Amino acid sequence: MNYQFDFHQVSLGLPKLLEGLGTTLQLTAAANVIGITLGFGLALLVMSRHVLVRTPAMLFVEFFRCTPALIQIVWFFYCVPILFDVFIDPLQMGVIALGMNLTAFNAEAYRATIQAVPREQLDAGVALGLTPLQRQLYIVLPNAFRAAVPVLLTNGIVIFQQSALVAIVAIEDLMYVGKSLATESYRPIETFTIIALLYFAVSYPIAQLVSYLERRREAANP
Amino acid sequence: MKYDFGIIYGYTDALLRGLTTTAQLTLACIVLGSALGFGLALARTSRNPLVRGASGFYVEFFRGTPVLIQLFWIFFCLPLVLGQEISNLASSIIALSLYMGAITSETFRSSLKVVGREQMDACVALGLPRMRQILHVVMPQTLLRSVPTLLSNCVSLFKESALVSAVGMTDLMFVGQNISNSTVRPVEVLTATALIYFVIAFPLTRAVTRIESRILTKLAV
Repeated sequence: MNYQFDFHQVSLGLPKLLEGLGTTLQLTAAANVIGITLGFGLALLVMSRHVLVRTPAMLFVEFFRCTPALIQIVWFFYCVPILFDVFIDPLQMGVIALGMNLTAFNAEAYRATIQAVPREQLDAGVALGLTPLQRQLYIVLPNAFRAAVPVLLTNGIVIFQQSALVAIVAIEDLMYVGKSLATESYRPIETFTIIALLYFAVSYPIAQLVSYLERRREAANP
Repeated sequence: MKYDFGIIYGYTDALLRGLTTTAQLTLACIVLGSALGFGLALARTSRNPLVRGASGFYVEFFRGTPVLIQLFWIFFCLPLVLGQEISNLASSIIALSLYMGAITSETFRSSLKVVGREQMDACVALGLPRMRQILHVVMPQTLLRSVPTLLSNCVSLFKESALVSAVGMTDLMFVGQNISNSTVRPVEVLTATALIYFVIAFPLTRAVTRIESRILTKLAV
């Protein structure tokens, strides 16, 4: 291999890359807000006693979990404007698509932890005369949320990585900016390596945090 | 706007051909990736810190970056590094196998832990060489226990394989998008394409749950 590395062109593009990273982080943060809140509600719907409530919720979850994220994003971009006759700003559309995907995955994470909330605590809630809504909000949610944190964080990292897909529908995130920089500078190796390292630099610390939390939990309940 | 899902029938052949490409690609990468993953899992338990560190970094890196950038790196940069052309099929297989190797190595690693210390001691007592320990003692138990997780890894790979459309592979995703662009009927065509992915991936995820409960009860773990 006799390739001459030249980071000059790429370093000129660095401010743009960081701007792209900013967009990626915004997308990720917004999708996580949607996913963490709606995911809990969806998990409750999936566990509902009524078939009419449960079935559509389960279909929603399974559909997002069993199709490629790429087709979900492309589908949102092409089909939502036609189906509902609305025009949504691309960035917002990206947030909606990623947020819906994350909602489905987080609902599964919550479901496992909601089932693990001890039965006695709910009985105690009934005995204290709490309404069903109060029981969900003050007993189930805090318990389930705490237990779900590692999985929620892992799903958050996954959606951070999946957010690179929005580059395909021309949102100017890190991936998109990087790809155009690689084409403009004729320096694909340097550019793509730097983008990969940027993604890695964000997700690695969070992955380490997750394994730290898991180790702590294992130590707490052996 | 009227929707006409009938137009999809005209494109059944093309979609099926795309699906075949997707399936072949996925199968090839499952085989290559799982083999790589098993090797990596063993490497991560190695006594040599260099081997352990390198394999650990490999896994963290491939799990910590988007698959799309891995694919682009292989597609755009590897030819420059090697100094020769690589077809888009080859780069897709390389990229997805490397990714699959990283995710399956985590699966194998957690099931490797199940093979207890005393079994390794028994191997030493029996004087089994390292290779036979792996082939006859470690591998059968590990593989059996990792089946459910391995299957869900396969489903993830099947979904991630849609990315290869970005480097011009004519897989299901690529064909679907092409038809949707040329017929200007994204709602029908894209929905149908998504449904094709769904009808394959969904039964597989159900199978994971069933196999999981069956294997777990059989092994009583």
